[in-house]
Amino acid sequence: MSDELSPTELPTETPATPTTPASSATPVHTKHKPKGRKAPHPATAPHTAAPASPNAPLVVESDMRTAGDTTPAVALVVEPDIPHEDLAAHFVEPDMRTAGGATPAVAPVFEFDLPIGDSPAAPAFTQDIPIGGSAAPEEISIRPKPIFTSLWSDQAVEVPSTDELPIAGSTASTLYDAEIEVRTIASHGNAQNAVMGEMAAGTLKLIGDNLRRMTEEQADHVTKLLHGIDLRDYLDPDFWKGIGIVLRYQADELFGFFKRRMNGQYTTDPYGMDRELIEAIRPLLNFMYRTWWRVTTEGLANVPGEGRALLVSNHSGVLPWDGAMIAAALLEDHPAHTERVIRSLHLHWFSTLPFVAPALASLGQVPGLPENAVRLLSNDELVCVFPEGLKGVGKLYKDRYKLARFGRGGFVQAAIRAHAPIIPVSVVGAEEIYPMLANAEPVARLIGTPYFPLTPFFPWLGPLGLIPLPTRWSITFGEPLRTDMYDPAEADDPLTVLGLTEMVRNTIQTTIEAQLASRKSLF
Amino acid sequence: MTRVFINGIDGLFGAKIAQALSANPTVTIIGLGRTTPSAPVGRAEYLTARLSGRQLRELLRIEQIDVVIHLAFAGAESPIASREDAVQQNVLGSMELLGACVGSRVRRVLVQSHTAVYGANPLNPSLITETRPIARSHAPSVIRDYTEVEQFLTDFALQHPALCIVPLRCASLLGAWSPIIDYLTQTEPHMLVGFDPCLQFLHLDDAVAGFALAALAPTCGAFNLAADETLCLSQAIKLVGKQPKLVLEPVVSLALALGSRDALGLWPFEPSFLRHSCVTDTTKARNELGWAPTHTASAALQALNANDQAVEHRETTEEALRAFLARRS
Repeated sequence: MSDELSPTELPTETPATPTTPASSATPVHTKHKPKGRKAPHPATAPHTAAPASPNAPLVVESDMRTAGDTTPAVALVVEPDIPHEDLAAHFVEPDMRTAGGATPAVAPVFEFDLPIGDSPAAPAFTQDIPIGGSAAPEEISIRPKPIFTSLWSDQAVEVPSTDELPIAGSTASTLYDAEIEVRTIASHGNAQNAVMGEMAAGTLKLIGDNLRRMTEEQADHVTKLLHGIDLRDYLDPDFWKGIGIVLRYQADELFGFFKRRMNGQYTTDPYGMDRELIEAIRPLLNFMYRTWWRVTTEGLANVPGEGRALLVSNHSGVLPWDGAMIAAALLEDHPAHTERVIRSLHLHWFSTLPFVAPALASLGQVPGLPENAVRLLSNDELVCVFPEGLKGVGKLYKDRYKLARFGRGGFVQAAIRAHAPIIPVSVVGAEEIYPMLANAEPVARLIGTPYFPLTPFFPWLGPLGLIPLPTRWSITFGEPLRTDMYDPAEADDPLTVLGLTEMVRNTIQTTIEAQLASRKSLF
Repeated sequence: MTRVFINGIDGLFGAKIAQALSANPTVTIIGLGRTTPSAPVGRAEYLTARLSGRQLRELLRIEQIDVVIHLAFAGAESPIASREDAVQQNVLGSMELLGACVGSRVRRVLVQSHTAVYGANPLNPSLITETRPIARSHAPSVIRDYTEVEQFLTDFALQHPALCIVPLRCASLLGAWSPIIDYLTQTEPHMLVGFDPCLQFLHLDDAVAGFALAALAPTCGAFNLAADETLCLSQAIKLVGKQPKLVLEPVVSLALALGSRDALGLWPFEPSFLRHSCVTDTTKARNELGWAPTHTASAALQALNANDQAVEHRETTEEALRAFLARRS
C-alpha cells in the first residue's frame, strides 16, 4: 500500500498547472479558492473532527495504517461548496455507524452517496494523500474540481442488470455496484487516487465476473470472505486485505482448474466438445468480436433461443474466423441470453491435421458429414454450415463477396430431413482480413494444403502475417426459411433441394450487396 | 425353454454371462471351454475340451441348442503367446462354429466383436450406427480377428437368412484384462503429437448385461455397446494416473514402414485410431434390447489407477484372509 504511494510519486501540481480546473467556468468554486491548507500530521492528530465553521474545509482522515506501520495516512480534504449541513449528511460519526457494522469505526467515514442529477452544484472534493514525514503537508494544494452531472448519469447507465446474473446474482451485482461507485469516486479524485480507484474497481469487477461463474457453494465462500468489508471504501486497508483473501482464493480456484485438467476430470460430449475450454477462450473471442473487428449484428432475434436451426453463411477470409465470430455473436449478444454453442460443420479434411483436429473438436466443431448434420439438428442443436467450403475461404481478393457454388445442396437435404429452419447469414468484413492476392498452388500441393495464400503480409512477415487486418464487420441473420412443410422424402428430390439451395444463396448474395452498399469504410 | 450354448465359458466374461442367464429359470445353459472356468458359472453345465467342427455340430444337435454365444477369442481376455495360434482359434474357430450351427436347430448366434471394426476414418460420422460397413483392419491384436470374423459374418448372414446373426460390438472393455488395459497401464502410454481422438469404453458388467439381453431378444443384426461417456485419449490416460508419451507421426510412420511397432507401444488398434475418433451410437441397443449401461467410463478408468488398485487389492486380500480364518476356526 504505502509503496504504491511513495512521496516521489506525489503529484506536483500547483494551482498554476494548466490541467487544473480551478479557474474554470464554475464560478461557485472560486469563492473558496484554497491557499494550501495545513493538514494535521497523521502521527500527532490521527482523527481530526470536522471543523466548526461552515466555510472552512472539512478535513477528514481515514485510518490507513497497515499492521505495524504508523506513518501512512490519508487525509480527505473536502471543499464545501454547498451548505455545511448538506455535506455533513454524508459524514457519519463513528457512534452512529456501529449499528451498520460494515466499516471499522475508528475513523469518520465518508459515505460516497453523493446526490445525483438533481443538485446542479454537485459537491466537489479533492483527496490528497500525504505519505510519510518527508512530504510536508504545507505543499499539498487543495483544489476544487468541477463535476459534471452528465458524468454521473453516464456511469449510472453502466450498472448491469441483476437478472443477468444467475449464480450468486446478488453478490456479483453488489460487487458491480461497488465497482461503478468506486470508479466514479476515483475519477473525481486526483491522479493517484484515480489510479488506485481504477485498480480497486478493476479488482472488484474481476471478482464479480468470477463470482458469476462459480457454483453457489463457492460464491457463498467468497461472500463470507468479503463479509464486513465496505466495498466502496477502497482507502480502507481492510478493503485490500479482504480483496487479497478473495484473490488468493481465486488463485486457488485457478490452480484447481489446471489440476482438474491434468487429472482428466472434465467432460466432453461425443463429438469432443469441452464446454470448459470454450469458456476459457471466450475472452479472446470477445476481444476479436468487440474490439478487433467491432462486429455489428442484425436480426439476431431470427435465431431461435432454443430448438434446432441451420445457419447457412458465406465463407471467406482464408482462416475460418467468420465461423468464430458467428459463434461469438450468439454467445454474447443473443437477446434470449441462452449462450448457445454453435456447432459449425467443417471440412473433414481438417480432422486429419495435427493440433487443428483436437482444437476444432473441443471447441464444438464437427466434421461436415451429412449424418452429423442431421444428427445434430435432430438433437435440437444450432448448426452452422458454410456451403462454399474451401472455394469460399480460399477465394482471391479480386473475387471478394462473389459467392461460390453452394456445394450440391447437402445442407438443404439435412435441413429437410431434420425439419430445421434455414437461417441465411451474411458476413461482411471477413473477406478483407487476409487479402489473398494469389494462390501459390505448387507450394500448396507440396505441403498438402488446399491452397497457399500470398497476402501482402503472408508469408513475407512470417507469423506476424497471420494477424488478421482489423476491418469492421457486420453480420446479418436473415429471416428463417421453414422446411417443416416438406416431406423428409423430398430431401432426395434434386429439384426441390437445388431450388432451395439457390434461393438461400441468392438471399445471402443480396444481403451482402446491400450491406456493402451501406458500408462507409473498410475499417 | 431356451437352451443357450456359451462357447468360451472358461473366461471371466463367459462365466459372468452364464451367471446372468442363470437368473432366468427358463434358460438352460451349456458351456464349452478349453480350461475349467475361473469364476462361478451359475447353473451352467460345462465341458472342458477342444472340439472340432463336426463334434461341435453333434453337440449342438444333441443338446438341441437354440442360442449360441460365441466368446472364444484368444487375446481378448488374456495376453496371447502366439499370434498364429490366436488367428487359428479366433478366425477359423468362428468359421467352424458358424458352420456347425447350420446343420442344427440353432436360430440365433451372438458373436463378440469390437466397435473398432468400423475403423477410424475422418469420413466416418462422429457417431457411428450399426449400418456403417466394416473397415479393413491391420491391427496387431484380436481387433483384427474381430474384423475378419465380422466380414465373414456379413457374407454368412446373406447365405443363411434363417439364422439370426447378432454381432455385439463392444467398446474397449474395462473391469478385467483387455488389450486396452495393457496399453493404459504401461508406464507411458503413447500418443501422437497434435491428436487427441475420442474413444469409448465399456465396463465388463454392462457388456454382460448386453449379452444376456441380446441372447433372449427377438431382434437380429449388430448392436453397438458402449458406456455413455465419451473420453478423449489424453483424458483417459490422465484418469488412469499416467502421463502420455507424445510421439511424432512421421517417426511412427517411418518405424511402421521399417516393420517395427515399438513407436506405438502397446496400442492395440491401428495407428489411425491414434488420429481419428471412433465413437458409436448405442441407441439401437437401448431401444431394441432395453439395455442401459450402469458404469461410467471415467469411474472404471480411475479404478485402474495404480494407487487405487493397490488399496482395492489390499481390501480383497484382507477379506479373503478373514474368511479363511473364520472357516478354519
